[in-house]
Amino acid sequence: MSAPGKTEPTELIARARTGDTQAWGDLYREFAPAIFRFCRRAMPTREDAEDATMEIFMKLRDKLIQYDQTRSFTAWLYKVAANHCWDMLRRRKARHDKDMDDVDDVALECPEPNQLEKLIEERTSEEVRKALDTLGMRARMALVMRYYSDMSYDEIADGLGVRRQFVGVVLLRARHELRQALGENSALAVGGTR
Amino acid sequence: MTEPGMNKDKIANGSHIDEMTLLLYVERQLDREAAQGVSLHTQTCTRCLTLLRALDRESRLLTRSMLEQDEPLPARLAEFQEKVKRNMQWIWGVVFGLAILGVYALYTGYIEPWERQFEQAGFGSTNLLNLVVFQGAFWKGWQSMFSLFEVLAVMCMAGFGLFAFRRYLRRGSALAVLFAGFGVLLAVATPASATEFRKGDTVNVKKGEVVKGDIFATGEHIRIDGDVEGDVYAFAHQVDVTGHINGDLICFAQAVRVSGVIDGNLRAGANNVTLTGSVERNVMVWNETFNLDANGKIGRSLTAGGETLTLDGKIGRDFLGFAESTNISGFIGGSVREQGNSLSIASGAEIDGKTVFKGHKEPNVASDAKLGSPLEFTMLERRHEARGGGYYLWRVIWTGTFILFGLVLASLMPKFAVESVESAGQIGASFGLGVLVFFGVAIGSLIACITIVGLLVGISAFMLWLVMLFAAEVVVGGIVGQWIMGREDEFWPFFLRVVVGIAAVRVVTSLPFVGGWAGFIVGIWGMGAISLALYRRLQPRLAPNIPPAPMPTLSNPLPPNTTVGGI
Repeated sequence: MSAPGKTEPTELIARARTGDTQAWGDLYREFAPAIFRFCRRAMPTREDAEDATMEIFMKLRDKLIQYDQTRSFTAWLYKVAANHCWDMLRRRKARHDKDMDDVDDVALECPEPNQLEKLIEERTSEEVRKALDTLGMRARMALVMRYYSDMSYDEIADGLGVRRQFVGVVLLRARHELRQALGENSALAVGGTR
Repeated sequence: MTEPGMNKDKIANGSHIDEMTLLLYVERQLDREAAQGVSLHTQTCTRCLTLLRALDRESRLLTRSMLEQDEPLPARLAEFQEKVKRNMQWIWGVVFGLAILGVYALYTGYIEPWERQFEQAGFGSTNLLNLVVFQGAFWKGWQSMFSLFEVLAVMCMAGFGLFAFRRYLRRGSALAVLFAGFGVLLAVATPASATEFRKGDTVNVKKGEVVKGDIFATGEHIRIDGDVEGDVYAFAHQVDVTGHINGDLICFAQAVRVSGVIDGNLRAGANNVTLTGSVERNVMVWNETFNLDANGKIGRSLTAGGETLTLDGKIGRDFLGFAESTNISGFIGGSVREQGNSLSIASGAEIDGKTVFKGHKEPNVASDAKLGSPLEFTMLERRHEARGGGYYLWRVIWTGTFILFGLVLASLMPKFAVESVESAGQIGASFGLGVLVFFGVAIGSLIACITIVGLLVGISAFMLWLVMLFAAEVVVGGIVGQWIMGREDEFWPFFLRVVVGIAAVRVVTSLPFVGGWAGFIVGIWGMGAISLALYRRLQPRLAPNIPPAPMPTLSNPLPPNTTVGGI
């Protein structure tokens, strides 16, 4: 995974690895907003997101030497960010989601397609962001990892510590939670008939 | 690949496809066969096609919502890098500022006054160092130095405070409380007492004259024949006290003679000090010769350093001495601890406590001298003569201790250990900061012990300083090991380099003549590296004015009549 259209700052990274503070600053300038937004979506409060962003970049400085330059820097950066945010959330024991082992056989009701389309059409980005804030930690983190940082299922599984085949379930459940938050009174909230 | 909730049978049966499968299809997570099944099905099933499109639109909505730059980068983050840069500049500014201040203080506090005194006193041919040390000009600057170190102590305290509250500093109230606290600390100043300044060739407090408060006198000859109800600070060629000083006498001169009475303490740096009167409290003198006359009396303890100490009078409590030659023929109410070349205890001497002497010669004790307990003597060996097998055995034992200490440190704080070693790689920064920490924290903690900051803080800071000093060799060993064997961040390879480095450092610090200096440099360097790593821990390093974020785009949706490969 990488950020499409984004040229990898290979030279900057190489210089930053040697301790060049200017290069490090440039790297920060380039990636801090994206990482902050990532944290803002993943963490419950703005202050948490700010703290997480700072800590991620501090961690990044230490870990930069471990970065494999043959791989995508952006992908690696998001992975570091996701791991850090998830660690923070786990440390707080604030997860609202059940462990994934519990959802092995959970059946998810399929929504009514037209109503789903209507709901998506009517909702603004801001409403979606507000709804995201109401989701459980795991659901939100999964959505952010997938739809913000474009992480693969393998990376999501690794980050969240779930089996790879459950990533789809986590995402689907997260979408259902989101729909419920978006339209409390909608029939979609409880799923339609198949 | 089979996902939970995915139902291939339904695809095969021509029934509707479940949402899970459609989602996996949208996300390109199905293998080729399953994807083909979905593709075929959605060509004929409007409902599934609608749901597929809805899911895809939902994905796009999610991505768009998340990527939208709805709020600017917080100022705290935007200014982060600049703050750090500024802070680093500030740190270096402080270091170099202190260095410049030190040079300035050295000149104005020590050299310039000494030059003036030198001219006044007419010491044309005396050795400069001797004058600086024993004429008192050196000591004159201590008051200003204490002010400087008090500032350092407060700065250290501020650092601890900022560290303790760093997570809450963004909250204005916490910041206000913190600074208000320091404001109160600074506001609680010692009230100034009236101080009289006298200057001239001869400064005299005449007999019958009473000076209320402290007196600060400089000149060729200072005489205190009257009464001073306060402390006397005297800087002169000669100081004579025949009168009465209610407080302390702090003086720096070539010759100091006290035949009067001092109710407080006598602290003197001089060529020679003669005490024929009495000092009710303690005496601390650093001089070439100190003579406690038979009529002289010290109420409490004597601490003296110099070349020759003659103690014929009475000392109420203990005597601690560092002198080339010490002669005792008077009374000492407490113990004697002396280190030097020779000690002579003459007939008529009486020492009530223990007598301990470390020196190069056997002490000479008169048979009728009264000692509270048998004299304990330790023969001091010449430093380089001591480097026999035992010396090197102990060096090996200490090397093992350092390695164990390094192992403990690296185990307890692996990340911080690596950071400290990395910081040691920045030799200039580490060494510069090390000088500041080595001297600043040590003296700052001492000041903290005796000022408003408090004993507990002072002792804690000093203990921390000691730990850092001990750990310094481990840290420097780490970077030396990396220079020898190459960099490695994994624990055991990293530790192996620390071991090799410690061994190398110990070899260097064991060398005759240069080993001591090498150890000193290693201590400063390592302390600086640890401090730098600590500093970096406290400081996030980021940068402002960031351009728009990279916009990862969701994979293009697949037309219903196409298939995708599995992962």
